[in-house]
Amino acid sequence: MKKIIGLIGLMFALVGMVHAYDGVEHTNVLKVKYGWDYQLDTYLSPLAYPGQEIGIGNEWWQPFRPDTRLGKTGKLARWAHVGRIDIRGARHISSARNNLIYSLGASGGWGAFYRWQWYDNRLKVLVGPYVEGEVTMREIASNVNKPYSFDFSAEVMAMSGLSWSFYGKKTSYRLHYLIRTNLIGFDYLPDYWQSYYEMTQGVRGTARCSGHWNHHTVKHEVGLDMQFPHSTWRIGAEHDYVNYGTKNQHFVRNQICLVVGCIWNYRIKGNTRL
Amino acid sequence: MELPHQREYTVMKRYRQLFSYIAFMLILTACHTSDEMSYSADPVENIEALWQIIDTKYCYVEEKEVNWDAVHETYLEKAALLPENDPVALFDLCAEMLNLLEDGHVNLYSSFDRSYSTAWYDSYPANFSSSLQQKYLHDYRIAGGLYYCTIDNDSIGYVYYSSFSNSISASNIGWVFKAFKDCKGLIIDVRNNGGGSLSYSYLLSSPFFTDNRLVGYWQHKTGPGHNDFSEMEELRSDASLCGVKWMRPVVVLCNRRSYSATNSFVNIMRYADNAVIVGGKSGGGGGMPMSYELPCGWMVRFSSVRMYDAEKKDIEQGIEPDYQVNMTSTDKDDIIEKAIELINMAYK
Repeated sequence: MKKIIGLIGLMFALVGMVHAYDGVEHTNVLKVKYGWDYQLDTYLSPLAYPGQEIGIGNEWWQPFRPDTRLGKTGKLARWAHVGRIDIRGARHISSARNNLIYSLGASGGWGAFYRWQWYDNRLKVLVGPYVEGEVTMREIASNVNKPYSFDFSAEVMAMSGLSWSFYGKKTSYRLHYLIRTNLIGFDYLPDYWQSYYEMTQGVRGTARCSGHWNHHTVKHEVGLDMQFPHSTWRIGAEHDYVNYGTKNQHFVRNQICLVVGCIWNYRIKGNTRL
Repeated sequence: MELPHQREYTVMKRYRQLFSYIAFMLILTACHTSDEMSYSADPVENIEALWQIIDTKYCYVEEKEVNWDAVHETYLEKAALLPENDPVALFDLCAEMLNLLEDGHVNLYSSFDRSYSTAWYDSYPANFSSSLQQKYLHDYRIAGGLYYCTIDNDSIGYVYYSSFSNSISASNIGWVFKAFKDCKGLIIDVRNNGGGSLSYSYLLSSPFFTDNRLVGYWQHKTGPGHNDFSEMEELRSDASLCGVKWMRPVVVLCNRRSYSATNSFVNIMRYADNAVIVGGKSGGGGGMPMSYELPCGWMVRFSSVRMYDAEKKDIEQGIEPDYQVNMTSTDKDDIIEKAIELINMAYK
């Protein structure tokens, strides 16, 4: 088990590393999550299932251009980008406690944002676009026909956030809050009337354009980064709310989870240019 | 030039806009969906939900010749008289309502009971006796879910498959046929086989086909109306599932309790060369089931996909055998005897 967790961690870290430009300092956050949520998938059940979930995620932050970094010009790079990937698994039990839904979800995204800063760069406001894809697969366990279901979406989102840095005696802190919500994109809805038996011959469904009129995604996160002499850690909380559907089919995922993450900065240097 | 108080005002205005946006998002987060159902043990709510599920998702509302709208009124009135804290009484009422459909695929599942209908086979002859079957099925081997031996002086192979829920593989079938390599015919007995996996129906029928032959159609629901169905889609046998082939006579034995996936197997075998169906009318259950939940968490199963034979005749009500034989003897199995006779006749 430790090996598996180690391998997943390494894989996530590598995903971040491949995005590091030559000589640009790169901030990576490897996170584990534990939380509570409820999921509604009307293909499987009209009832919302509360449950608990665990997850692992990785995010990386990096300015676009190294020559404007703090220290060279005295100003923080205005434009930077962020990428993230998350995997989560959850077990949900019905309110009547007689049925289970297992779910496995993954999401990945990339965004760019503009930063304003005040008070010696301690207060920052971030605004920018973000693109995210998300898929969740579910299986209802006690069903005699064992049907399964999934939802998929890809969205262009608006992202904004606040960050405030402050200092203790031996430790420096950064408190941040981020919110992102969907603007436009597309989602895929399996055919509500399709039975499990038909699904074995291929899933039918509808891909449609989505926006705030038919698809709501709001994701918040708040975190406190603590820089100790030899390591930097994050504790925080994340809240995801995803709600979309059609007349018959409805998917809702409302989740709040606690996050613990390890943060490190690194810089990959390329060959020296002549 | 921007004065300090003007700048402060601008910053404050930006912050107000930002906080307004955040507040809007939090309000949005609190919205709930209109079709979401909450947990409830209320009898009226559950009867209403059960009626709606059958009305919109069950594929045989019209064919069952039950006045489903009248059922709605009647059972809501009955539900209103039930106490809220008596789940057994509610279960019985729900089961009573479902059993009006006389469908073996319509069941209600709770932690303490599962409803079932017997009306679809009650009025038919049993046409199966395990004690009489034992006179034929002895010194048998078991390959997966298949019980097999030779009968009639080792001239005929006999296979009994009691449930399509019991797993079988192409390898199992290959071993059975190897044991029957010197037999002149084969009997596959699926009497009292209540069904199971449809894929095993296709696998077990595969050795009797050399091509993917049209064996039927299916239609799935596309909307809440009683007649909202897709176009018919072809169903074909799959000759590739089993490499071993059986080209000698084969007799399939069925009775009224050959149901669901077994009914589909019987239907597929009607289109195999050298195959005949002997016994009683099969049980039907042509509709493929799916399940949904009630507000109290109980699960209801029902047919949602209609199945037809290659002539586009619905197989929900069962399939007539090629040779109708009822068991009347007390010392022998008349249906197996008829199968032996047919195989022997094929060589005369």
